[in-house]
Order: sequence, then structure tokens, then C-alpha cells
Amino acid sequence: MSKDKVGASFFLVLSIAYGVLAFDIPLTFVGIDEVFTARTLPFALAVLGTVIALLILVLPSAKTDDSQKMSAAFRGLNWKLVCLLALLMVFYGMTIRWIGFVLSTILFLIGSFRVLGERRVKVLLLASVPVVIVFWLLISKVLGVYLDPGSLYFFLGELF
Amino acid sequence: MLEGILTGLSTALIPINILLVFVGVFAGTIIGMLPGLGPISAITLMIPITYGLDPASGLILMAGVYYGAVFGGSTSSILLNAPGIAGTVATAIDGYPLAQKGYPGKALAVAAYCSFSGGTIAAIFLLFAAPALAKVSLSFQSADYFALMVLGLTSVAAFASKGKFLMAVMMTILGLMLSTIGTSQSAGVQRYTFGRMDLIDGLSFLLLAMATFALSEAMMSVLKKPKGAENADAVNTTHIGSLKVTREEFKQIAPTIARSSVLGFFVGVLPGAGATIASFLAYGMERSLASAKEKLKFGKGSLIGLAAPETANNAASSGSFVPLLTLGIPGSGTTAVILGALISYGIQPGPRLFVERPEVFWSVIISMYIGNIVLLVLNLPLIPYIARVLAVPRQFLIPMILFFSMIGVYLVSFNTVDIFIMVFIASIALVLRLLGFPMAPMLLGFILGAMMEDNLRRALVISDGSISFIWQRPITLTILIITALTLLKPLLGLFIKDDSQTA
Repeated sequence: MSKDKVGASFFLVLSIAYGVLAFDIPLTFVGIDEVFTARTLPFALAVLGTVIALLILVLPSAKTDDSQKMSAAFRGLNWKLVCLLALLMVFYGMTIRWIGFVLSTILFLIGSFRVLGERRVKVLLLASVPVVIVFWLLISKVLGVYLDPGSLYFFLGELF
Repeated sequence: MLEGILTGLSTALIPINILLVFVGVFAGTIIGMLPGLGPISAITLMIPITYGLDPASGLILMAGVYYGAVFGGSTSSILLNAPGIAGTVATAIDGYPLAQKGYPGKALAVAAYCSFSGGTIAAIFLLFAAPALAKVSLSFQSADYFALMVLGLTSVAAFASKGKFLMAVMMTILGLMLSTIGTSQSAGVQRYTFGRMDLIDGLSFLLLAMATFALSEAMMSVLKKPKGAENADAVNTTHIGSLKVTREEFKQIAPTIARSSVLGFFVGVLPGAGATIASFLAYGMERSLASAKEKLKFGKGSLIGLAAPETANNAASSGSFVPLLTLGIPGSGTTAVILGALISYGIQPGPRLFVERPEVFWSVIISMYIGNIVLLVLNLPLIPYIARVLAVPRQFLIPMILFFSMIGVYLVSFNTVDIFIMVFIASIALVLRLLGFPMAPMLLGFILGAMMEDNLRRALVISDGSISFIWQRPITLTILIITALTLLKPLLGLFIKDDSQTA
């Protein structure tokens, strides 16, 4: 199956689901009698989306060479690295409030540099720590933006 | 007009704004130079910074980033044959062979002079065209705006690369669908929020732009090994040689610069066309005008072949500000991002901008002159140093881009959920990119969605629920006819192809 058809199948499902969910949009008492309600555009978009997705599915693909095949589009890619980076980003989102901006950013940068192939500890530290410190100084001291120091330290302070 | 120019001058020449032009051009050049990152990503990364500035300064910074990124894209095209953006693909056709022949410095200098000339000539056109169009558009009504937005959305799809027309239309619809998430502006009811507080205000434009461009482009460059990295013949970026361009060479490229500037500006004004089409059209035009002897040099390092697209893409960048500033309709993904940022400021670009915020309107135009001068005086002597950015290993650049994207969104909302939503959207964008679906139409649809709905609703209310508003006003009808004509070619192409294949 060519990749545009796979994409169109996804959009077909999405458009139908979007249209069905449009029925759940509440209408105000006054709005019921209006020509243009909060549901009008969603319904129109659902119909348009379905028609276009069907057109992509029905009409022949513009290019029919092997590069357009689904298998070719996803072959030989560094999925492992991208997944690791995505996990690191999620980790960053989870830790920024907990251990604070400085530490979580240093950990994120060191982790990402390492995932992408940098192994030298000295370089890892030199490429992350100064950047984060300068950025933190710029944001919090120069621009005056409050950055949460991290709730972990607050709890540790309570404990000791 | 003179009063406006003076207002613009007095705003644009404030030291902080001059500094912002410098910062914008410099940052834009560096970001635009990185293969895979274009002006949309460059501007998006700057938006969090502009939130702390007044609108005129913010817009000046973004405009500077725009020219810088276009020029930066040319640098990676010339040195690595790895265009950062589609608009500089044509630059690589002759720029890279010229650099390979041993003249990377000359190629970069020609690119810088052409960018300056194209940008400056186009800014002169803009000075006259924008106020004239703004005055005309003051008479526009809701129906006309609705028609204009439909034109803007469809022409971006119509100008999509061959075979991607329907995919671009689909992405525009997806953008419009995403714009309906949140509380409806007109009815005040929640749509597609699934009861989540995080979605009541809808998706953040900044989050969507960061996720679908900066983040997904950086992730894509990890997923696929960049072309430049595999290019064993890539020019040494640390020694780029002499930047000298001789008088004869200037004479040779001067007519090309003049023609390409005019062509680039007018193509840039057209919604949807933009720098890519302008650069290829200029390249094609110059090749057909060239003598038989010069024609042979095209593709092998011709100076004219380099000057034409480089002039046209910068002229088109200035030209694309005309519909944005006068009609509030972005003609490209880049101007769509700028429009989104302006709306976040509470400013609605369009004819009222010209009347109500003349300092914003004029200072942007004046800053284009300053921006182009800065591009020349800052970039030309710094080219040898700026080019070294290309030598910075990817393993350091990509995490930095990821970090700046995430922190840019986080520092606006201080909501960690936004980081998770960003990663989720970027992952979907990554898959859609692999499937060949373009992202810019989606962003355009998202930004214009709410405005389009509002204008359509008003037009229908004014015409008592009848669709007669389509033909009641000549302007509306004319714009919709142009829209239909714009769509006709790609649509006919689809069915004619269908017939030939089934025959």
C-alpha cells in the first residue's frame, strides 16, 4: 500500500470520528434557531475531510515508484534514537517541577548528547552545565522570570 | 505616507529595535543554516522571546529572523548542498558547484549581495504597495474576508509540490479541525475538549508550531541521516576562501538581480506561492534568457544561476508581508506563524492595522531596509565564522533545539502537560511527514480557522442566513472566482491523469 493511501485511511477515520463527535457539541437555547451554530463548521469540515480522504484513496497516486510504498518510507530509520529522545523529553516534563529547572535540564542535555553518540564525560559536562547556568541566569536574574527551584528540595527541607 | 514613514523611522530606529534587528538577523542566519531547520522553526523558536517585547519590536525581531533564516538556508545549500528550506533548493543548483570549484567565499558573497539587493528592492515595492492595498481593503466586509481566507488556504494547497495537492488540502482541513478545539468564540460553548481543563482555551498556537516544526524537524534529522552528513564532497566550512566579487561579475549579475527582484516580489505577494516558487521561476527565467554559452554553465556553477534564485527568494520574503500586513492573510507558513504571534499580542493584522497601529505597520516596513543592510554588513564579514556553525556536531545541536523548543512553550504556560502534548503532537507530525503530508498548510488552517468561522458566521447573519453573500459583492465574487481558478489546475490535473492512466 502506498503511503498516501495509508495517510488517507487515517484521515478518513479521523474525519468520521470528528463528525460524530460534533453531535456532542452543546447548543445554547438561543443558538438552536440560528443559521450558523457552533456545530456548523465542524460538520462542514467533517464532510470535506471525508470527501478529500476518499478522493486520495480512490484516485491513483501521483508517483508509483517504490519510494512511495509504506515499507520504503519507514525503512532504515533511526527509530530507536528518536524513541529514546522522546522518552527523555517526557522525563524532562516529569522532572522539571520536581527537581527544578537547572538539574532536570542538565540531565536532559547530558542524556540527549549521550543518546546521540557523545561518550566523553568531560565534553558532556562542559556542553551542558555552562549552557544551563547561563540560560538560568538570563531567564531568572536578567529577565526576572520565576523558575520553580523544585519541590523535592522543599520536601527535603521539611524533613531535615 | 510621509508621515507614516517618519513614524516607522522613529520606531524602527530606537536603539532597542536596531539591536533586535541585529539579533534577529544573526540568530535567523544561524538557525536557518542548520540543515532541516527553516524560517518557520527559526521564528517559532523566537516567539517566546517576543512575548516580552512590545508588538512593533516583536514583529521587527521576527522579520529579521525571517531574512536571516532565508540567507542561512542559502549558506548550507552552497557549502553542504543541504538546503535547510525548500526556498534555497534552487540556490544549491549553481551555488554548490561553484563552491566545489574552489570558490565557496565568492558563492557566499554573491548570495549575500543578491539577498541584500532582492530584499531592498522588494522593500521599496512594499513601501508603495502595502499602504495602497491597505486603503483598498478598508472597504472589505466579512464576506470578503471569508473569501480571502478561503483563497489563502486553497492557494497554499494549490501551490504544493506536484502530486501533493490533495494531501495539502487534507492538512489544511486538519488545521481547521484543530482550531475548533476549545471554547467557541461566537457561541461560547466547549467543543472537543472532552471535559479537560487544559483544552478549554484550545490548543496553543505556539505549542502547535513548535511541535510540528522545530521539534519534529529536529527529530526528523535524527530519524534520517541528513544529506549533508553523507556528502563526502561537502565543502570545508572552516576555510571558505576569498569573498571578493569582481566588477565584471557584478555587471554580469546586475540585470539578473533587477529582474529577479521584481519577479520575486510579485510572486511573494501571491498567497501560497512564496520563496520556493519565486526562486525556481527566477532560475528558469534567467536560464531561458541566457546566451547559449552561458546556458551551458547553468548547473555547473553559474553566477547568474546563483544570483537569480537568491535574489528572488529574498524579494519574495518581503513580498509575502504585503497580504499579511494589509489583509491579515498570511501567504505562507512563515507569515502564518508571524500572524499567529501577532494575534497572541492582541493585534489583528489587516487594514485596521494601517489605521490603528501605524507605528507597527510602518516600523516593520522600515525595519526591512535596516534588516537587509544588517544582513549585508553583519553576515558578509562574519560568513567565515558563521559557516563554522555547520561544523558543530549534530549530537550537540539537536538536543539544544529540543531544549529550546520545550522551554519556549513551558516558559509561557508553566504547565508541564504542554511538554507531553508537544511530544505527542511532534510524534504524529513526524509520521505524517514520513507519509508525505506537508505541515505548513495545517498551521495556516489552524491560525485562520477561528477568523474564517467568525467571518463566515457574520456574513451569513448579515445576509439573513442566505449564501447570497457569495455573489452580492463584486469583491467577494472576484476573490472566490480567483480561488476557483487557483484550484482548477491541480484538480483538472488529478482527473486528466486519472483518465490517461485508466485509458
